[in-house]
Amino acid sequence: MADGALNPGVNLEAFAQAIAAIQALRSSVTRVFDCLKDGMRNKETLEGREKGFVAAFQESLHSVSRDLGELERLSNLVGKPSENHPLHNSGLLSLDPVQDKTPLYSQLLQAYKWSNKLQYHAGLASGLLNQQSLKRSANQMGVSAKRRPKAQPTTLVLPPQYVDDVISRIDRMFPEMSIQLSRPNGTSAMLLVTLGKVLKVIVVMRSLFIDRTIVKGYNENVYTEDGKLDIWSKSNYQVFQKVTDHATTALLHYQLPQMPDVVVRSFMTWLRSYIKLFQAPCQRCGKFLQDGLPPTWRDFRTLEAFHDTCRQ
Amino acid sequence: MQRRSGRSDGVRKVASGHSGVGVSQVPVAEGKSVQQTVELLARRLEALGADKQGTFGVDCETYHTAAALGTQGQTGKLMYVMHNSEYPLSCFALFENGPCLVADANFDTLMVKLKGFFQNAKANKIESRGTRYQYCDFLVKLGTVTMGPSARGISVEVEYCPCVIANDCWNLLMEFMQSFMGSHAPGIPSVFSTKHDSAYSPGDTMVQYMELFNKIRKQQQVPVAGIR
Ligand SMILES: [Zn+2]
Repeated sequence: MADGALNPGVNLEAFAQAIAAIQALRSSVTRVFDCLKDGMRNKETLEGREKGFVAAFQESLHSVSRDLGELERLSNLVGKPSENHPLHNSGLLSLDPVQDKTPLYSQLLQAYKWSNKLQYHAGLASGLLNQQSLKRSANQMGVSAKRRPKAQPTTLVLPPQYVDDVISRIDRMFPEMSIQLSRPNGTSAMLLVTLGKVLKVIVVMRSLFIDRTIVKGYNENVYTEDGKLDIWSKSNYQVFQKVTDHATTALLHYQLPQMPDVVVRSFMTWLRSYIKLFQAPCQRCGKFLQDGLPPTWRDFRTLEAFHDTCRQ
Repeated sequence: MQRRSGRSDGVRKVASGHSGVGVSQVPVAEGKSVQQTVELLARRLEALGADKQGTFGVDCETYHTAAALGTQGQTGKLMYVMHNSEYPLSCFALFENGPCLVADANFDTLMVKLKGFFQNAKANKIESRGTRYQYCDFLVKLGTVTMGPSARGISVEVEYCPCVIANDCWNLLMEFMQSFMGSHAPGIPSVFSTKHDSAYSPGDTMVQYMELFNKIRKQQQVPVAGIR
């Protein structure tokens, strides 16, 4: 490669020398530390030992400063890389003659395209999410990261008594829904919600935030062999696996960090609409079954029943 | 399914919950034999995407209360003793319109000892055997009903496993049955209307089989071969 064609601003020879200078600098720095590590060598007298050590240390420091000076001189000779290429220095990868073996350049372009697209879509998503009234981070989206309010930590340390009160108030709100609260793992609460004779839901809380939820059938076992709530295994029935997926989506939808009790209440209100899981026909196609499943989706605002594929 | 110990400790009711089931009879298609109609239904189920899952069997023996028992009002009352392969350790004893008792399987030996009071009408033994199918959360049992040597009809049992309240899922069950049985899907079984909101039990399925067997017994024997 002719360096002129490559990039008129870069002096390849100086470049090679600069690399050698870096190597020299590194080895002289290593010598400094070696010298410090070895300490005072054995000499006849204490004075002799000190003198020898100081001399050796001084010399190695000198060589560091000399190598550093040389590197600085060379770096001026190397010159500034051209700013013409849109990818700056990474554009030089395109000149690699062994494309087949190291397809770095095409991969780089691909990654660049993806990250551009990602940024674009994230922007659109942020715009859409900002229109929602209940969302995970009310003031964060679209605002610069520096101004992010630190609302979450305060709500994470709510006293357990407060959590108990909120849950028992919700429990009293819905007669067909019973909520059992337990704290098997310290302060975090776990709820077992039983909805009529339709389904059971295990809700794992972190303070008043819902971390995880699993929906199972009314006749399914929700405990592990040692009598604890089984928060890992999924339902044996396809219909409840689907409802579990939707409930997880609902957790992401109902979010308002400053008012976690409103979030839990909204989620439970939404969950309660599954009392008619097997009785409500789809509000779009009017049928009970689609691919063997009843309408498993409930609209977040109207609570109407839809098949997964029939919702907008 | 419920587990039972081998030790007999009398008659008891099944307490565990169970899912909504509909049992119905399918008339034999015109110009077809029972076997051909069963095959037709099996093909429709498989086209829907249902998977075969082994076999099943339900049988029913009829007992007359013996004359020795005396009381005038009681004469002619029939008792049915039934078995279901889904509950291999249980035995069901039913009276028409009466209670349904769930007992251990060795209830049969008890009946032999009680032959002074109950007489087995051996010729009346009727059973349904066939294939189990699974489709999503549905369990379908497609059976040929035989009495003695002859095939007398077809039974279709559909169970929607996630739902414990039969009335809740009746519409859904009907829609599913129509998808492969067409217009032969049944009306709401009488056990459903009396259940209201209580949980469905295996006994309710046996009552439906008993009613279906009684209907088939009363029918004229289907001319299986030589119709033309
Ligand atoms: Zn639909």
